[in-house]
Amino acid sequence: MAQVSYRKIAKSYGAVEVMRDVELDIADGEFAVLLGSSGCGKTTLLRMTAGLETITAGDLMIGGARVNDRPPKDRDIAMVFQNYALYPTMKVFENIAFSLRVKKAPEAEVKRKVGAAAEVLNLTDYLDRYPRELSGGQRQRVAMGRAMVRDAEVFLFDEPLSNLDAKLRAHMRVEIRQLHDRQGATTIYVTHDQIEAMTMADKIVLMKGGKVEQVGTPDELYDRPVSKYAADFVGSPSMNFIEGEIGEREGAPIFLAEGVAAPLPAPMARHLGRRTIAGLRPSDLHPAENGAVQGTLTLAEKTGADQNLHVRAAGVDIVSTAPRNFQVRQGQHIALAIPPERVHLFDAATERRLGA
Amino acid sequence: MRQSTPMELRMGAAREGRLSLPGLPRMLTSEHPLPWLLPLTAMLLVFTVYPLIYNIWLSFHEYVPFKRALVPVGTDNWARLLADERFWGAMGTTFLYFFVVLGIELVLGIALAMLLDSDAPGYGLLRSLLTLTLVIPPAITGMMFLLMEDAQFGVLTWALQGIGLLSPDTPILATPSTALAGVMLADIWQWTPFMVLIVLAGLRSLPPEPYEAAMLDGAGPWMIFRKITLPLLSKVLAVAILIRGIDLFRVFDYMFVMTSGGPGTSTYTLSLYAWQQTFSFIQWGYGATLSLVTLALILILANLFIWISKVRW
Ligand SMILES: Nc1ncnc2c1ncn2[C@@H]1O[C@H](COP(=O)(O)OP(=O)(O)OP(=O)(O)O)[C@@H](O)[C@H]1O
Ligand SMILES: [Mg+2]
Repeated sequence: MAQVSYRKIAKSYGAVEVMRDVELDIADGEFAVLLGSSGCGKTTLLRMTAGLETITAGDLMIGGARVNDRPPKDRDIAMVFQNYALYPTMKVFENIAFSLRVKKAPEAEVKRKVGAAAEVLNLTDYLDRYPRELSGGQRQRVAMGRAMVRDAEVFLFDEPLSNLDAKLRAHMRVEIRQLHDRQGATTIYVTHDQIEAMTMADKIVLMKGGKVEQVGTPDELYDRPVSKYAADFVGSPSMNFIEGEIGEREGAPIFLAEGVAAPLPAPMARHLGRRTIAGLRPSDLHPAENGAVQGTLTLAEKTGADQNLHVRAAGVDIVSTAPRNFQVRQGQHIALAIPPERVHLFDAATERRLGA
Repeated sequence: MRQSTPMELRMGAAREGRLSLPGLPRMLTSEHPLPWLLPLTAMLLVFTVYPLIYNIWLSFHEYVPFKRALVPVGTDNWARLLADERFWGAMGTTFLYFFVVLGIELVLGIALAMLLDSDAPGYGLLRSLLTLTLVIPPAITGMMFLLMEDAQFGVLTWALQGIGLLSPDTPILATPSTALAGVMLADIWQWTPFMVLIVLAGLRSLPPEPYEAAMLDGAGPWMIFRKITLPLLSKVLAVAILIRGIDLFRVFDYMFVMTSGGPGTSTYTLSLYAWQQTFSFIQWGYGATLSLVTLALILILANLFIWISKVRW
């Protein structure tokens, strides 16, 4: 049993405070994905969890026990480092086998486990090389392999696939998730990749400037982002934001901006007259006669399955996803419609979500 | 075919005028490198090549006092060497001294360096104090230890007797079985700090990441030392062993001052024996032969060591 709990965790480097009041629970066996912009403290949080960084204030609990002062080697944590942290003096095989050597595992078991990991990671041909003789992506896979042969209580991954090509990444995604389901270990996984976050996570933890911004399932983050920052972070292409006001038309609330008039659900009437930012997901916007957003098409990007229409409206660039066979011309006037319940509203000053 | 090194390639390119390399010494980019090489070549010839050749020449001659001249003796000196028991004894003493002192200085050096590898206040001062022993001339160190190991009033004698390691009827430097150890003490005292400084420089430059990974992999301090620190230090250690090893192999000052090779011949090293033959017995030819053998041994050992310790990662 290894649920990981953070209680009012803070971290300072000297006078620089990089993390404050982090409150977070990750259940036993859960796969949590840490998201957040660069420098928001993801690596720092993982390193504190692993015991490589002191915790300035607060309590870190693993399996119910406070472990702030427990040395890393007694925490039973496996970690894939953002910078790989391979052993430069050991060949790939010994790099992966090191934790097994520490446990004095029998040679046959070492061979089997390292062999299996190398197989999954496409590293079989490289077992006899030193880390400096590998490419960045290969090194990253060695770092992965080191974690895969562990059977730790908690796994920490710091952007473990960032250097791999798209195909290998898709393959590794499945492997990691299967490994997790087999071992049932609590996992914290840092990524910048939307797809990784949405497909792998049981729970997404979104961080901003050293604090937790929102915690929830991928669906919750996608459907009900608590702030503009959260809305901007989840979903690809990212959400469109238009600043305007909530008005009223024929007794129903409506979001109004230059060239935009989007009907809102009835309960939004209580925010009447408020300066707001409307968030519209590209996938919720469809070309339609008399749509809520009126503008001119500036660019149509084919993405393969779909196309992204860039529409100039309300002084900003609005993106909408349309089927690839939808015919448009550049410079053409176009209207985009959106269902009222799909409009996200954020207060213009605080950028927090407005509730119904 | 041998591949050109990057330096050679650059030099080639520079000579052909394809590349101007303001950062390189003039000599390397010059169309006429010879004048630039001349001073160095002359120095090498005068101070290294000539003495070496003269020594080789000398080893086939011998000084005959009543003729006051060197006379050719063919390979007599070399034949004499093989049959000379004092030579083999000196060789044994040199190897013993070499291995024991190198081993102790290495182990102590690594241990002390790891203790001193800290950023806590005061450690910087401790580290700089280490350089003090290195600036003392070895002969002075020899005198110091001669006094400290004196049978009557030496402080080391007194301390060793106090803890029961030495019986009062064994004067350290006048007993064949302990004299060499007495000399070793001086060497170890003077040169362990050198090891410490080199190892410390190595330790300070080690990357932190492998240590973090090893801790998470569950490794304890001993495992980390053996599997991470030692291999990472191997280049630095190889350099330290090479420098110190060469010095140890031709050790001279300490025995010269402390025991003059005695008691008996128990502390005669190759260098000291060569000195004795050359300057006490005026056997210039045989002395030269002895130093040539020492030189050859050092060259062989050093190159063997460089070859073995070639760092692969
Ligand atoms: N040793 C340090 N001293 C001072 N500040 C530090 C130190 N290490 C990290 N920081 C700061 O802490 C903040 C969080 O860093 P962290 O490495 O956790 O970011 P991150 O979320 O992992 O970013 P990325 O996505 O780029 O990896 C950054 O602002 C960084 O500048
Ligand atoms: Mg990071």
